[in-house]
Amino acid sequence: MTDSASHPSDDEASPHARRSLGDTLRWSFEFDQSSTLAGATFLTREIIPSARDPFDALIESGPTLHQLEELKNAYKLLRTSGSSAPERSLAARLYAATIATALVRHGAVISSQASATLARAFEELAADASMPERLRDIGALAADALRRAG
Amino acid sequence: MTQTNWELIHDAASGSSTAKRSLDAVMKRAWPAVYAYIRASGRRSEEATELTQAFLCDVFLARRLLDKADESRGRFRTLLLGAVRNHLADVHRRATAAIRKPKEGLIALDAHESPLGTASAASSSPERAFNTRYVAELIRSASDRLHRELEAEGMPETWEIFRVRVLHAAFQGEAPPYEAIAARLGLTKGACAVRLLIAKRRFATILMEELRATITDPADLSNEVTDLLSLLNAE
Repeated sequence: MTDSASHPSDDEASPHARRSLGDTLRWSFEFDQSSTLAGATFLTREIIPSARDPFDALIESGPTLHQLEELKNAYKLLRTSGSSAPERSLAARLYAATIATALVRHGAVISSQASATLARAFEELAADASMPERLRDIGALAADALRRAG
Repeated sequence: MTQTNWELIHDAASGSSTAKRSLDAVMKRAWPAVYAYIRASGRRSEEATELTQAFLCDVFLARRLLDKADESRGRFRTLLLGAVRNHLADVHRRATAAIRKPKEGLIALDAHESPLGTASAASSSPERAFNTRYVAELIRSASDRLHRELEAEGMPETWEIFRVRVLHAAFQGEAPPYEAIAARLGLTKGACAVRLLIAKRRFATILMEELRATITDPADLSNEVTDLLSLLNAE
């Protein structure tokens, strides 16, 4: 397909075309003004469309192990490619929270990092007052699980 | 960095060494929306092309609209729309006068008989065509620039994901499943999503930059977006 085939066509007068133009303009404006959570929310909803935001995805939506692996990959990349330091910091926390959720909900370790590194990340998650309480609980449970596993 | 339309307009009118290039840039930005307005006013394509050329030559060049353009008037879109609306009404008035001019002298035009109405009360359909095309050209320009930038930065797969997931999905219909794109590009779904986020953010920044270039007061951006959305949604 050529690039021109992906551009707005010359038939912009149709209601569908005008709606598409309006949608593109609207989300562009919203992206331009977006908050720290917006990037992680966008990624989460690309992977779990029914989730409201990352917290909803991890706490409420009952994600499958495969979805958690996809979320982990996405948050891991956002840790380095986020548009601001707060966004990158949030992504790092969500990265740990996703691994913790997989461990607590599915009994699976979806990271190749050393146990000590994971335990530290889970403890930091559990201690982070900016995170929802139920996600902090998951962090604490995951840290416990790692300790028990020795 | 996108040069604002006002910067281009002032440069085009300045007679500087870059005036010709600036004039070309302004005309290029103006052409599609002007053509859409004229076409939607009932002209055939050949006639609309001629009238668009005439407008850009007569109004932008001969009448030196660029020279007179006043930043305090705010938005390039409304300046352009008003100018083409008046120009087309003038053209129609002259054509009608030539036909109707009786031997005993000129009679007054009856606005009710004009298919264009008066300059201040043009049909909503040409205006909608103008505004739709205006937004389409902003989006086309922003996506072209995003494509160039991502290719130059060695990120062709990021462009491909944006093209398929955003542009194709919005303007050509359903996009292929996410999994199919990820598999084709050898990426995980999460990695695709991150690249799409990067591309959408870049596109949004570019598009808003293009839009800011058409207004005088940056704080007016929200109002201009709201107005354009309202105009696009109008039936």
